[in-house]
This record gives sequence, structure tokens and C-alpha cells, in this order.
Amino acid sequence: MSTKKILKPGALFLLLLWSCQPEPDTLRLLDELVVSTNYDSSVDFAGYSTYSISRDTIGFVSNRNPNDTILVQTSQTDYPRPVLQRVASNLDDLGYTQVEPGENPDWRINVYVVNDYNLFQQVVYPSYYYPSYYGYGYGYGSYYAYPYVNTYASNTGSLVVEILDLKNITPDNKVKVIWSAYMGDVYSTIELVKQSQEAIDQAFIQSPYIHK
Amino acid sequence: MLLSGSAFAQESYFYFNWDVNVPLANTSWISSTSSRGAKFGFRKFIGAERKFAAGLDVNWAYFQEYKPTETFQQPNGAITTDYFNDIFQFGLAVSGQYYFPVADRERFFPYAGLGLGASMNAFSTSYNIYTDEESSWGFLARPEAGILVRMGARRRLGLMAAGHYDFSTSKSASYEYDNFSNAGFQLGIMIMQL
Repeated sequence: MSTKKILKPGALFLLLLWSCQPEPDTLRLLDELVVSTNYDSSVDFAGYSTYSISRDTIGFVSNRNPNDTILVQTSQTDYPRPVLQRVASNLDDLGYTQVEPGENPDWRINVYVVNDYNLFQQVVYPSYYYPSYYGYGYGYGSYYAYPYVNTYASNTGSLVVEILDLKNITPDNKVKVIWSAYMGDVYSTIELVKQSQEAIDQAFIQSPYIHK
Repeated sequence: MLLSGSAFAQESYFYFNWDVNVPLANTSWISSTSSRGAKFGFRKFIGAERKFAAGLDVNWAYFQEYKPTETFQQPNGAITTDYFNDIFQFGLAVSGQYYFPVADRERFFPYAGLGLGASMNAFSTSYNIYTDEESSWGFLARPEAGILVRMGARRRLGLMAAGHYDFSTSKSASYEYDNFSNAGFQLGIMIMQL
């Protein structure tokens, strides 16, 4: 076969390939988490002073495993503690004081990872109740007081931080989720711990109403 | 090869071009020039003087632009992310051309024409692993002017260059497009049967 006969269809093939749809640069997109925050605009965040947060355990919810579980800081898993410490340091910097759960805190800070769960496709309405994902001995359910719509889907994993209002528990023992931050995707990160910490910082930066 | 055959038994030509496009609508969403496009078609001359031709054009183009990290305020919160905006454009048009008379009518074919048809635009935003998409079809109008140059008076193979303006009524409420328009330049090969 002559060179010309190879070159002509070859050039056409290359042009066809070049004109095909390129994928977005994944590395560029995955080097930081998407940070989505929601809050109850009727709440005055300056009216609270103390909070409690776990020191080395975060929740883990997966629809692959219907039994809720936890992630514990171990020598093999160096994720919970840096994440929890970063949440706490942000709250400290904003003027809130960390106390032990038994010291009657104003807020409980829930931190958990949701795996393979369509969290971002939910439409959440006020007074939508769901059972608290793990007990911590409170015996409360919790609910969102603000409507919001998230139009994107997560089938992999998100880090979630919530502020639960323990100061205003309802008569039927429900606690209100007054602020939440969703950070994803934690399963496609380049540097999981660093990106999670940066995302937590960003969650508080874009929530200027949280301060003493 | 695949470019020859019974379709060329009469005076006609087939072309396959690289198509570079500049978006003109809602350029705050995407303004980057797209070099990822192609256009091909078949056109048949009408009449012995080869003054007119009519045919079918198919084209596609892919526009993409990276947007650095940004915070979007919402009624009860905010979202922060960096993202890519993308548009995939596909068009199908019936077209007619007028060929200007020149001295060498065996090799040079300057022309102006108009294509009318339909186009589809798929708009999408990609952030982290997530993607939002919306697509719509619209009416397409495409004025075009260009030139065909055969390699020799007895050669089928030639080059084609043209400029075009595409206007489509394809809309996207989510991405604030009332219509879509772009200007393009195409360059490539054509196979002519005279």
C-alpha cells in the first residue's frame, strides 16, 4: 500500500479523533472538594456559646451496609482526628467553647461520611424528620428547619458536618439541625486529609453568620 | 475508497473539514474558541453551468472552559467549587450555494450559500465528580462563504475553506441561553466529481 493511501485516511481518522468530545481535566476538578452549606436563617448563631464534638470518632453511613457504623482514629486510619480537630479549631476561632458532652453544651457537632448515598439529590423540607444517625446517648431525632434543593447527585462519598441545636430541644425530644456542610467527593480525592481540612475551612468561610 | 462511489456519479462533491468556532452568545458562560469541531457534507451541482448546488451538511463542535473556584450564594447557604462549562453542538442542515463565475471553472469554485436545519446544544457543568446537564434542539440558520480548489483539472481531490455564522434558537434556561450563535472557520478536503 502506498504512503498516500495510508496518509489520507490516517489524517481523516486523526481529525475525527481530535474533534471528539474531550473529558474535563479530572485532576483539576478533584484537587478540591465541592463545599455546600445550608443553614436555618431564623437562628441567631451569636446566641450560643458552647459545643461538644467527638475527639476521635466520626460516623459512617453507607447504603451498601444498612447498619450504621463509625470510623475510629487508629494507627491505620488517620482521618477522623484531623477532620474533627479542624472543625473544632474553626469553631474555637469563631469564639465558641468546646465542652464535654455531659457539660450541657449548646450545640452538638455531628461529623460523618455518607458513602454511596444520593445525598445531593434530596429535596429537604422543613420539619422533615429523620432519626439521628448515631446515638451518642441523646435519644433525639433531628430535623432540618429550612427548605433546600440540591440538584446534583453523589453516589460515592461526602463528608458531612452538622450543628445540632441542643439549646432548643422540642417537647418530643427532637433537635434541630441548624447548619450543615456537605463536602464531596471524599472517595476521589488526591490528598484526602488535606482536602477535607481545606473544605472544612471553606465551609466556615462561606458561612459568615456563624460567629459569637 | 469510502469517499468514492455511486454518489459521485453526477457533478457533486463530498467534503470533510476541520471546523474552528468562536461562541458569540452568553460569552460569560463560555467564550473560548473551540478547535474541536468537524463538518462534512455532500453537495450536488444543479445545471450544466455549475452556478448552483444543494446538499446536506452535518457538523459538531465541542466548547469547553475552565472556571476557577467560586462561591455561589443561595437563599439558605452557599456552594463553593471550581468547574468546567461545556457545550456539545450538533447540527444538521439542508444548504444551497451560489458559485461565483471565475476564469478557471475547472479548479476554483468560490461560493456563498445558506444552510437551514436543526441543531442540538448540550450544556453541562462538571465540578468534582458531579455533572449537571441540559440540552435542547432549535432551528438552525447558517450563512456560509468559501472556496473549493481542486488539486488539478483532472483531479478529484481538492481543498475547501469557508467561513460561516451559525444561529440556533436552541435555548437553556438554566445556563441563560436565549439562543446560541457562533462564528466558524472550516478547512479540509473535498472530493469532487465533474
